[in-house]
Amino acid sequence: MVDFSVEKGQLKSIIGPNGAGKTTLFNLIAGVFIPSSGRIYFDNKDITSKKVHQISQLGITKTYQITHVFPRLTAFENIRISVQSRMSSFNFWRRVGTFSRINKKAEEILTLVTLADSHDRPASTLSHGERKYLEIGIALATEPKILLLDEPTAGMSPAETIEATKLIRSLTDQLELTVILVEHDMSVVMEISDEVMVLNEGSVLAQGTCEEISCNTIVQRVYLGERNE
Amino acid sequence: MGKNNSIKTVWIALLIFLFLPFILSAPLATEMLIYSLFALGFNILLGQTGVISFGHAAYFGLGAYFAGIALRYFGSSVWTSLLASIVVGGVAAVLIGALSIKKKGVYFAMISLAFAQMFYFLALSALKKWTGGEDGLKFIPILKLDFPFHVDLASPYPLYFFVYFIVALSIFAIWRILESPFGRLLQAIRENEERTEACGFDTTMAKFISLVFSGIFSGLAGGLLTVYLGYVPVTTLFWMTSGTVVMMTILGGMHSFIGPVVGASLFLLLQDEISYLTDRWEMYVGAMFMALVLLFPEGIVGTIKDKIETKRKRVQESQWVGDVS
Repeated sequence: MVDFSVEKGQLKSIIGPNGAGKTTLFNLIAGVFIPSSGRIYFDNKDITSKKVHQISQLGITKTYQITHVFPRLTAFENIRISVQSRMSSFNFWRRVGTFSRINKKAEEILTLVTLADSHDRPASTLSHGERKYLEIGIALATEPKILLLDEPTAGMSPAETIEATKLIRSLTDQLELTVILVEHDMSVVMEISDEVMVLNEGSVLAQGTCEEISCNTIVQRVYLGERNE
Repeated sequence: MGKNNSIKTVWIALLIFLFLPFILSAPLATEMLIYSLFALGFNILLGQTGVISFGHAAYFGLGAYFAGIALRYFGSSVWTSLLASIVVGGVAAVLIGALSIKKKGVYFAMISLAFAQMFYFLALSALKKWTGGEDGLKFIPILKLDFPFHVDLASPYPLYFFVYFIVALSIFAIWRILESPFGRLLQAIRENEERTEACGFDTTMAKFISLVFSGIFSGLAGGLLTVYLGYVPVTTLFWMTSGTVVMMTILGGMHSFIGPVVGASLFLLLQDEISYLTDRWEMYVGAMFMALVLLFPEGIVGTIKDKIETKRKRVQESQWVGDVS
């Protein structure tokens, strides 16, 4: 049973032990699962029973914990097709190269996620870290109002993690996004979150600012304490 | 699928086909064109969208039969009969798609096979009076074109160039569709349907429309077969025809635009050559097909493309090393 909300422009992190239900929560919001009870509202609209692609069109986009890209397509095309999602694709005649606005936007996002050099490389040939950036790029291309980031720094080296963390915070500010971030890396969470929510076994254990959460003894025992073992 | 490179391969193929009836024979070259179109239509669904159908004989065969019915029972012109084959291909795809496109992978393949077999048995026995049953639809009047100018379609070379004209137009149409935003959407679905949906695309509708385009061009190929043969064999609806188009497409390479054309043409050439040598040509062609798929999973065109790509990378790397030293 989870009851929570996010304010526009916030970066809210969700932490909790494995199996707490963080990715499930994302899947519920994004429309992959339907909740057995309760409702989900976005901008005062009930989106509980909407389909995945409809929710994306409304402005909620999620990324995947294990990168879920378009392997044989180039890095550029991965992002370009995502940009294309904001226009009607039932155009069977004009050649894709002629849509300059879409191509320009895709180039911008590719550069934003530092992958401009990998423009023509198939996504399957990218390194793990590069693919995590591509993952974010594909999500950004859909012009989301709410971005659900599922462990964006998982598997990254410490150096990559620092870079990625900075990028996520700057994108949130630059593009005025609302971000919900699932993370295991506490340094990332403490660095950039406006608010933190702790999940455990499908329920909210605590919510608050970074200081409040790190001082919360129950959280320390259940989650942060667990991590020290 | 390559962007500007693929149109070059189309021009090269069309150039070769201009001379092919004189190098091989007009009938064989005509069949190559017809099955190339069938395979290209089929590959809109398989190679581009990633959906496998085991029942594409339905569109091909219905296209052939409806063209034949138009010609024989309604005395229509060749143009009208081809229009009928296009329409029935599309309508059949709409009906079959509405009932099955949401099914995943192998389930869709099996349902498509079931539909095709249903049409086969309708033609074979239930509607025998109209379709001629086992013998096929015969007694189609001698074919000719009167508009825009007179063409004697009973003669092999005029017939060939008429088929060439229709197939060439169709190839350009298919190319435009695949290079459009819609075509790119289909590719994305092939690569990762779940992600495509998460990006905000209605992937079910896109797959449905892909099937309809596929049915239209496969139906047209069937209609052209009727014009070419002068009758409609019942095998056009048989499951082996569905299997043959799959083999042709994979042989040529399903991830390139021109692959299906190469695959269909080579398959027919092999079939023709080997059937001179032995009655058991199906066994040899089948064995050859298996060997080719195991050795070259991306098909002939796919393998050639990979080799060119690897060579290009090696040249690039050696140049880079050269700069450093």
